[in-house]
Amino acid sequence: MTEFLLHIEQSGFCQWVRESDSLFAYSGILLMHTIGMGFVVGISACMDLRILGFAPAIKLAGIERFSPVLWAGFWVNTITGVILVAIHATSKLVNPDFYIKMVFIALAIIALQMLKTRVFRDPLIDKIPPSPKAKMLAVLSLIFWIGAITSGRLLAYVGPGSAGS
Amino acid sequence: MNPAHIHLLLNHFPTIGFGIGLGLLLIALLWNSHDLKRASLVIFFITAALAIATYVSGNDAHAAIKDIPGLSPALINAHESAALVAFAFMQATGFFAWLALWLLRRISRFPNWNLAAVLVLAIVSSALMARAASIGTEIRHVEIQSGQETSGADPGPTLARSWALYVQTHSWVWPTCETLHFIGLSMLFAVVLAVDLRMLGMGKKSLSFAALHQLLPLGMLGFGINLITGIMFFVSTPQQYVGFLFFLKMMLVVAGAFNVLYFILLNEPWTVGEGDDASKKTKLVAASAIAIWVGVLFCGHMLPFLGNSF
Repeated sequence: MTEFLLHIEQSGFCQWVRESDSLFAYSGILLMHTIGMGFVVGISACMDLRILGFAPAIKLAGIERFSPVLWAGFWVNTITGVILVAIHATSKLVNPDFYIKMVFIALAIIALQMLKTRVFRDPLIDKIPPSPKAKMLAVLSLIFWIGAITSGRLLAYVGPGSAGS
Repeated sequence: MNPAHIHLLLNHFPTIGFGIGLGLLLIALLWNSHDLKRASLVIFFITAALAIATYVSGNDAHAAIKDIPGLSPALINAHESAALVAFAFMQATGFFAWLALWLLRRISRFPNWNLAAVLVLAIVSSALMARAASIGTEIRHVEIQSGQETSGADPGPTLARSWALYVQTHSWVWPTCETLHFIGLSMLFAVVLAVDLRMLGMGKKSLSFAALHQLLPLGMLGFGINLITGIMFFVSTPQQYVGFLFFLKMMLVVAGAFNVLYFILLNEPWTVGEGDDASKKTKLVAASAIAIWVGVLFCGHMLPFLGNSF
């Protein structure tokens, strides 16, 4: 397994990403990952806070129209995230913090999908206030995103190959 | 023009801006003039934004003059800490001024507690700023330095330097602030995207500007988190934040402040109801807001790669 990871890490592409000064290499890929995070968490947090009663004049049906932006950010982050893990495969994939981050993201996406069926696909959307269950899901969604950001940020500080090791 | 000149140019804005703002606010309260109150609040908000650029330019100025003989490092440190305290109060003033302008659209008047908060904070800021400025003046004008400050007695670490020492000796502080900086970024982006994408036409069928206006404090809160954590980074390791890229980031933040003023001050965005297209001008301002904040993120992110950080 380690050999396989080493093989990925030492591939020509991964070496280029790590070592090139080009803006399309490491710095640019990490930049896209951060901008994508702003899009995904930003739009998702808008939905969650609105469901919780913040900014009540905003129609939920209107906020739902921003979903494509959220998903564009999500796929940008999936692609850039795979590259960022691949270039440090031997250290990131043995770091428990990485798996904590993945679990948080998976839970956040599940919460998002559940809100989609329970709130945004509800024919009575904007006619009756969101149910307590929907509000609970919105709270969980915010917690999962904060967890994902925190564990993601900490990848730079904990575990092998990080500033803290 | 070197960075010291830029600092000497920018450092006039906070003093003059708060002087004019305070004068206007006092006259407005005496005459009970709504328009003058509004004008003074705008001046406080813009001046607070410009103070961000002023405060950080002091760091470049310090780097530019540190090798000039005869300048007292103790005075420079004292000026830094005095400026930091004045800066904190100015930002609080700017925040409450913004809040009053935001509330005006929601409740059609300025709450008295809010104006009182702005008045008290502005008076305290002005006094603290006068202190910072007078220490700053002594740095270069050696002829007016009072004897005791040049006598060489070590006054001990200043507020800013002891804070830096705390961060350097406690390894949890930096990652915690980084995480909060990213959470604040997401909050700010939430509002920038929702408001500005709608102005550009996304989801226009069921979203009016008046509804989205309710979101703005969330963005301001995110910005506040990032200002506090950002200043934490800046004060702990000032040598990382010297140079053009970081200064560009701060100038973009100032541009962002002018941009949000369009949405809280002018009537034009308010005419955008459900199903309406925004005017060309509003669309342009909305698009520039997204460009400005992505630009801020770009400059900050690129500091370790193109700048001299880390």
